[in-house]
Amino acid sequence: MSKQPSLRIVLAKVGLDGHDRGVKVVARGLRDAGFHVIYPGLWQAPEAVIRTVADEDADWLGISLLSGTHMTLVPRLIEQLREAGLGHVGVLVGGIIPEADIPKLTELGVARVFGPGTPMEDIVQFLRDSGSRTHA
Amino acid sequence: MLDELFERLEKQDRLALARLLTLVAREEQLDVIRSRAGKRPEKTRVVAITGNAGVGKSTLVGKLAEYLRSQGQSVAILACDPQSPLTGGALLGDRVRMPSRPDDPGIYIRSVAAASGHQAVAEHVDVMIRVLGRYGFDVVLLETVGAGQGDTAVSELADVVVLLVQPESGDELQWEKAGLLEVADVVVVHKADLAGADRTEGQVKELLSLPGCRKIAVLRVSSTKGEGFEALWQAVLESPRHAAAADEDARELLRRAQEILAERFHRQGDRVGNVIDRWKRQELDEAQAADELLQLLAR
Ligand SMILES: Nc1nc2c(ncn2[C@@H]2O[C@H](COP(=O)(O)OP(=O)(O)OP(=O)(O)O)[C@@H](O)[C@H]2O)c(=O)[nH]1
Ligand SMILES: [Mg+2]
Repeated sequence: MSKQPSLRIVLAKVGLDGHDRGVKVVARGLRDAGFHVIYPGLWQAPEAVIRTVADEDADWLGISLLSGTHMTLVPRLIEQLREAGLGHVGVLVGGIIPEADIPKLTELGVARVFGPGTPMEDIVQFLRDSGSRTHA
Repeated sequence: MLDELFERLEKQDRLALARLLTLVAREEQLDVIRSRAGKRPEKTRVVAITGNAGVGKSTLVGKLAEYLRSQGQSVAILACDPQSPLTGGALLGDRVRMPSRPDDPGIYIRSVAAASGHQAVAEHVDVMIRVLGRYGFDVVLLETVGAGQGDTAVSELADVVVLLVQPESGDELQWEKAGLLEVADVVVVHKADLAGADRTEGQVKELLSLPGCRKIAVLRVSSTKGEGFEALWQAVLESPRHAAAADEDARELLRRAQEILAERFHRQGDRVGNVIDRWKRQELDEAQAADELLQLLAR
């Protein structure tokens, strides 16, 4: 016997800006949609994010960036995920990302970029359609 | 797949550990994992930290883990948060208050969702503890979702139960009503940096001095100031470990025996139905029917 599994998603706020309102809204939205949302808090170093994803056996990592450092932080995180044996974890990016950078990010392995104001339903639908990477 | 995971677990592979805990939470091959993980090793000490919402459980667990690391002990944390009964979703935010030590292999933090209602901890935490013991942790700290419900279950899982209370302004102490002191082995007046901590400590001690109360350590801790952790751990070490582990094994054995019995009945197929039918038609009275059923098993 096994349960209808809830997908596990780590929502990380990387970098130095101190706003986490947006992340918290998404966190609650995903919880209400039946996800298990792990929120480790503000000011996470990339190494700490990787450790959280590993220990929590997350299916997804949602990275929130507002600081315009996406082209350095996201590639670094994705590389560290792979090095840690976590290449199967799906990566989402949320924040203000210039249109031109989105294809670059998806090429690096980001599953989807969600701009500010993306309706919650879109994020939920995307995750449901993609299913569990880890435990399919 | 389990063979491989357990092999990796023996080599202290964290990803294998994390995956096994996921399987347990999802009730996949639960019985196999339970028996393969085996009995919790004697050296693994399980300490539950309970208390009302906001009393500072996560913060204290985090600080206690750091103290234990400084003493050379490896620590696993199971942090339980409630799960929505409607959607099954959960916001697991206890990590926010815990240390982030990505370079330290001696600490493992796992957030688990507890079904709402009657449980203070997530389901199958007993099996998770076995897996963590198998990995080799010296200490497992178990943060409950809050005090009040399912506390006795917690005292069966843990060697020692630490109840946190905080200085309160009102005269009416919530935890007194909840009968929480009954499950506590150690009572911590947390946030001892706040005014009124000594008064609360006095009230708790007074309650515990009533005739018939077990001897329970009461001490003050401030996570903010980092004070009281050595004394807290000393009190945990001095508190007699519950016979829980032994009881758990006995329960396990009985459970297994019942399973075997059920299987045997099942294998009898129609013959069982046959006896039941005759009993329904009153050809057999209850005692005779029961006797025939047992004779079937003896065949
Ligand atoms: N003054 C003071 N505040 C503290 C102390 N420890 C924790 N807090 C504060 O208490 C609040 C709750 O802390 P948590 O650790 O989240 O409490 P919790 O019991 O885990 O809460 P839940 O998991 O939501 O039930 C936070 O605002 C902490 O900063 C302390 O030693 N002194
Ligand atoms: Mg907490």
